[in-house]
Amino acid sequence: MIADSAPIVSLRNVRRDYALGAERVHALQGVSLDVERGDYVAIVGPSGCGKSTLLNLIGVIDQPTSGTVTISGKRVDAMSDREATSFRLHNIGFVFQRFYLMPILSALENVALPMAEAKLRREERDARAGELLAYVGLSSRERHRPSELSGGEQQRVAIARALANHPALLLADEPTGELDARTGTEIISLFQRLNSDGTTIVVVTHDEDLANAARHNVHMRDGRIVNA
Amino acid sequence: MLLPFLVFALFLQAPQPSQRTIAIDEAFAAEAHLKVGDRVAISAQPDPSAPAESVIVGAILRRGADPSQVARGDFVVRMHLDQLQRISGYGDRVDRFAIATRPSADIDLTLQRINHVAFGFRAYRSRDIAVETSRTFQVVSRFHRAIGVITIVASSVFLLCIMVLKVEERRRDIAALRLLGISRSSVVRSIIVEAAVVAVLGSMLGVALGWVVSFLVNWHYQALYRTPLYFSIITPPIISLAVSLSLVLGIGAGVLASMRLVRTPPLALFGR
Repeated sequence: MIADSAPIVSLRNVRRDYALGAERVHALQGVSLDVERGDYVAIVGPSGCGKSTLLNLIGVIDQPTSGTVTISGKRVDAMSDREATSFRLHNIGFVFQRFYLMPILSALENVALPMAEAKLRREERDARAGELLAYVGLSSRERHRPSELSGGEQQRVAIARALANHPALLLADEPTGELDARTGTEIISLFQRLNSDGTTIVVVTHDEDLANAARHNVHMRDGRIVNA
Repeated sequence: MLLPFLVFALFLQAPQPSQRTIAIDEAFAAEAHLKVGDRVAISAQPDPSAPAESVIVGAILRRGADPSQVARGDFVVRMHLDQLQRISGYGDRVDRFAIATRPSADIDLTLQRINHVAFGFRAYRSRDIAVETSRTFQVVSRFHRAIGVITIVASSVFLLCIMVLKVEERRRDIAALRLLGISRSSVVRSIIVEAAVVAVLGSMLGVALGWVVSFLVNWHYQALYRTPLYFSIITPPIISLAVSLSLVLGIGAGVLASMRLVRTPPLALFGR
């Protein structure tokens, strides 16, 4: 049993090295980080500082060379592909810079997709997908395909999709990177609303407005956290 | 007028009307612009001054659906036996003749009796002659089958490449699905279902297109050769073979393409 006070994300002395030809790249060099439940953290820093690598480790899509990663009280740094996939499905929501909605599915079907994978009944998932689309302000666009939606609307559908299976943690990689300033502001407001409603959020961004909207900023440089 | 002719059948014991009639095939009628009731002079000599007999075109016959007749340039004229004997100068000598039998006739016994009494002749069942004369078509048919097999193999390779490329185009979408927690088996299953649907729809479209092309081919060549013969047919077994083959190939291509992608780590699919 994990106490509610325990950090939802806990990294201890995490290193991640890559082989780049004959060279060895040290993307993360002994990073330790805790993210509290209900927090809203922005990871910022220059390109190549290791922030996306850090997000990948928190999102259980990569494994550290050394160190430990614990999410919701469970060690995730050495999971098999099958375990990691199932863990992501039930515990983590992803929002990507380029949305990655399925083009042949409607907004509602895109949101319902992770719930179908989680074996929810069709009525349940349609109802929840409808609720989530209403939450992000897209009730009237349920039947529209991604190609019929604006960039901001697509990103809101992607956020609704990320929330489909009640994830403990929402991760976002440059969620405003493809949007104009006005639409970006709408997404920032939506993240703030999500966080105030209890969702734990970790974003990687170059967008100062998005970073400023977060409760905490984690600054990275050369694979290290320089100021948290 | 002189046109080559082929004696196709003879009317034995024909009546002797005051005005003799002949039957010609429709290719001859079209070439010579003849119609029923026209009067023509027939002769075995190319010389216009040679003795000729005046006859009336009594019937225009359509050629049967016989592949051996399709490309022949010969024209068919049927005339009464005595007239043929007179014009050809052969008298009662013939090279070939056909005997029509009643349905109840014992063919084998008839053949035996003819072969026994008709010295210098050999009687054959029409079916045996058809088998013998269709050997060329059997060879042509084998060529067609070989071309079909080559086409299918080439199409399979093409289909596989297209499928792999189409799936490759969606590697980032698939990577996103994997990051969302969609399992490998679900991704593979969805691609296979999609491939199967595309294969079935594609094969149905191909069958429809084939039917239209087949219709046009038949329409053109039946008119060209003035024959009821079908040059191209699409049968239910052909349709089921096409759909089944397409389905198997589509699913195979889907499996190969999807397995290739789901074995690649999602981050690698994203190019990171």
